[in-house]
Amino acid sequence: MNGTHRGLNRTLLALMGLVLIGAGATAVLAGSNTAFARNWTATGTQAWARIQENLAAARIPGMDTSWWTLAALVLLLLIAIMLVTWIASQGTGRTNQLAEQTDAKGSTSVDAAVAAQIIEASLARNTQVLSTSVQSWKTRGSAGGTGLKIIVQARKGASPAEVGTAVGHAVDGMDELLGTQLPVLVRIKAGTRTRFARSERVA
Amino acid sequence: MSSLQATEPRLIMRMNRREIRSSRAGWSILAAAVLLLAVLWLAVELVLSLTGNSALLLSPTELALGTASLGTATIPAALMAAGGILVLAGIAVLTLAILPGRKPRHIVDNDRFAVVVDGEVLAAAVSRTARTAAQLAPEQVTSSVGRKRIDVVVRPSSGRTVDKESVKDAVEREVSSYGLRQPMPVNVSTTMHQAVGS
Repeated sequence: MNGTHRGLNRTLLALMGLVLIGAGATAVLAGSNTAFARNWTATGTQAWARIQENLAAARIPGMDTSWWTLAALVLLLLIAIMLVTWIASQGTGRTNQLAEQTDAKGSTSVDAAVAAQIIEASLARNTQVLSTSVQSWKTRGSAGGTGLKIIVQARKGASPAEVGTAVGHAVDGMDELLGTQLPVLVRIKAGTRTRFARSERVA
Repeated sequence: MSSLQATEPRLIMRMNRREIRSSRAGWSILAAAVLLLAVLWLAVELVLSLTGNSALLLSPTELALGTASLGTATIPAALMAAGGILVLAGIAVLTLAILPGRKPRHIVDNDRFAVVVDGEVLAAAVSRTARTAAQLAPEQVTSSVGRKRIDVVVRPSSGRTVDKESVKDAVEREVSSYGLRQPMPVNVSTTMHQAVGS
């Protein structure tokens, strides 16, 4: 779990899909319809002529280029920066601070490792659980708190109900220690260790 | 314990939903990287033409002229083929944006936290239950967990029969104890090829 803006991802992908479909449909139309193709070339040539007029009208004094060309360059660089931001926003929102409290005497902060160790310690002796890992992320919305994701690798054939109950006890213990209920997401998964470790033959 | 601040059901639902659906992060990165390459190439060509250097592939002027007369300057068949490929790519990208992208995971009902179980974990647990009920070796039972149902295939030892109903009962009882949000009907079948010597 993280703060990836999934709605934004899907909106931008949808926009790109629509642009691609539009461009492709235009090309198909131009290939199959001669009148449309001629119309395209006529409109395109006119537009290019008008662009060249505009370029000539806004010449930078003492140079061979136009202000418009510079503006286009700046626009391209802005788009590039926005694209880099989009890429960098994937998978963000992780935090390693659970809670922070500030008063007159100073501030107290609780590290996410505290929760991780509570959970891992209480599941370590469970034979149905092969390994546990804990991640934390900043929850969006009014609360602005921290969420915990507990990833449990179950032994092959382990009952998800039993594993869930064990994780529930661990979370109850953590709630009591921390004095608050953090939002928790539990994922019970199989992995390479599940595939290679023995299954519990005595059910 | 009244001082505890409970997790809102809405937040639990949101966490569950996010965990079983794809974020489309990989495709977004790919799309952004392709666009970024195109934009940077355009910018480089623009700078090269501004400084009077020769172009890498096409100068901006050539590119603009080419686009303006593309309709008549290209062989119609090639134009249609290229257009068709673009449309197909567009449909694929649009599909990625619209479809939920369900992962093979299942939501477990719980009030305190969100729980998501991999289909693989469910299948292994179902196999274990089935083989315990029918007293078989691990290799004699294979299970697959789909989005809406569970299939169990039992390979009885040669010369013996397996009571499908009792296996089905055992598996159904086990699965109902998991508290899955989506009810999953169980289907048990036996194969004709029986296991020899097990």
